[in-house]
Amino acid sequence: MPDQVILQDPDDAPEGPSAAHDTMPDGSWQGPTYYRRSQLKAAPFGNWVVGGYIFCAGLAGASALISAIAGFSRLPQAAATVRRGRYLALLGPLSAVLLIYDLHTPKRFYNMLRIAKPTSPMSIGTWILMSFSGFACLGAAAQFLSDRVPGLGWLRRAARVTDVPTAVAGAGLSAYTASLLSATSTPLWAAAPRSLAVRFGASSVAAGAASLSLGERRGATRRALDAITVAALSAELAATLASHGTYRRKGVAEALDGGWGQVETIGATALGAALPLGLQIASLATARRKPGVLSSVASIAVLAGSLLLRVSILSAGDISAERPGINFRFSRPENLP
Amino acid sequence: MDMHPRIRDEPRSEFDLVPPNESELTAGVRIEPGKSYGFFTDTTVCIGCKACEVACKEWNNLPADNLGLTGQSYDNTGSLSANTWRHVAFVEKAGSSGVRDNAQQAFQSGWLMMSDVCKHCHNAPCLEACPTGALFKTEFDTVVVQQDICNGCGYCVPACPFGVVDINTLDGKAHKCTLCYDRLKGGLEPACAKSCPTDSIQFGELSDLHARAHQRVEHLHGLGVDSAYLYGVPGGPGATGGIGHLNAFFLLTEQPEVYNLPVAPTRPATRIVPSLLSGLAAVAGLALVAIGLFSKRA
Repeated sequence: MPDQVILQDPDDAPEGPSAAHDTMPDGSWQGPTYYRRSQLKAAPFGNWVVGGYIFCAGLAGASALISAIAGFSRLPQAAATVRRGRYLALLGPLSAVLLIYDLHTPKRFYNMLRIAKPTSPMSIGTWILMSFSGFACLGAAAQFLSDRVPGLGWLRRAARVTDVPTAVAGAGLSAYTASLLSATSTPLWAAAPRSLAVRFGASSVAAGAASLSLGERRGATRRALDAITVAALSAELAATLASHGTYRRKGVAEALDGGWGQVETIGATALGAALPLGLQIASLATARRKPGVLSSVASIAVLAGSLLLRVSILSAGDISAERPGINFRFSRPENLP
Repeated sequence: MDMHPRIRDEPRSEFDLVPPNESELTAGVRIEPGKSYGFFTDTTVCIGCKACEVACKEWNNLPADNLGLTGQSYDNTGSLSANTWRHVAFVEKAGSSGVRDNAQQAFQSGWLMMSDVCKHCHNAPCLEACPTGALFKTEFDTVVVQQDICNGCGYCVPACPFGVVDINTLDGKAHKCTLCYDRLKGGLEPACAKSCPTDSIQFGELSDLHARAHQRVEHLHGLGVDSAYLYGVPGGPGATGGIGHLNAFFLLTEQPEVYNLPVAPTRPATRIVPSLLSGLAAVAGLALVAIGLFSKRA
């Protein structure tokens, strides 16, 4: 059926089926639209590419933060955990490749380094990623050389020095990506800036702790990492509930009605956060000394859920930008800050 | 008809003999750096001729987007895009339910037309989002993408609350109306405004345009068109949520959604601080949990 002219004064609306054209077919908007054309443009991002970057950056940043805390807390045999954390942090600089790949003119990626702009989370993020990458590479190189080259054992102390700035930049790296999405006009991303940020930050910490737990051999440390995952997943689930409430209040919840909404609800929230939360609690309650298969399954589910969360939010955001009902409802005066 | 006295000095109108400050002759305004310029688009006198679209494409060397028919009244352009910087919207008020209404109002005969364009926002969200500095505020208070800087990150596209900026996937850069930056530098009125046969698109200094627009609204109210209002002037719809005012603003007679404009857009950058603080607080809180757990086991 071709699109029809939608404009009508509600008072003049004739009786009969034709009056239905006043609304969107899914009933999402009671008012005029311009031939059901969207008023916004969706972001021209590759959602798996950018979602993959947000996942990798969050994981790298959070695991650098957690392993640095482990290193400074006089934990017995923390050296192995710290080493894994320093190597995992290399995922940060590696994932920068995904960002460059997603540019429409990749050979000009260096133009990001011309300026620093506090009004642009992409510029803020560029500098967070740059500083994190620099310190992470220094730390990993020092770790590698001190392990492999005889006589360079003193470099371990140098790596310990880089752990502090890597951890600080890592905290920024695991949290800023939510503001990257919220500081746009895409309704779903913009509707709940606070709870989305808590969701992304907590999901990053959960993914970082889960990946460190997967490699951990020492039972006590692994239990501590799994307990961090439990705390992070609880925060993520609370923020998920809060964000869904905000989405309903601001009229953008319909963006999550389709397939990507299912991925977000079933994949990222139920299987990727609630299920591993239960598994980790069960694993911590039952296993006396060393967590086993329950913890490993939960950690893998956390990693998959963390990736799916980012991809599904990116994709559902595109849907919210493409549907005139959602974006007109979001830009009503009652939603003004 | 009033004629500018300088027209007598310039009898020839040829491309290579453009008189200096030609905009004084065509738009009654001298273009000087440091002042604010913009468009006042009065939709009540738009006749939907699309001369603005054609003039824009010709001057800016922009290819056609769509050679088909959309079936949406006379709008075969569809929307603003990387290659379309003026877009004339057509809304048929009469007969919109499929039943042709024979009783026509004298005013506009049941038609609404509006030439849409980049709004050149005062606090432009695209400019604030641009991580390379390719988007900048010119000396004429307009917003332009520098094509030699843009790396096609595409962040300006979702940043724009009006759906204006677009990426051209062929050259990988963001494009939008430049308010004819090159013409302004040469003392020429922008192509769309110069070509508009009914002066629906008026180019000028922003304060002049505001005064003219308020006068026009009063005049229309006097004629009985009570629905006339301005979109994008300070304090009005379209200039909400920290965006300030729009340098390209409109006189409308129906609610903004009819023309595919948002009633209350917001400036996205206002969400950065709450988002960053909440995210960092969550990560910091979980880091404290980690410190507690690790020191307990140490």
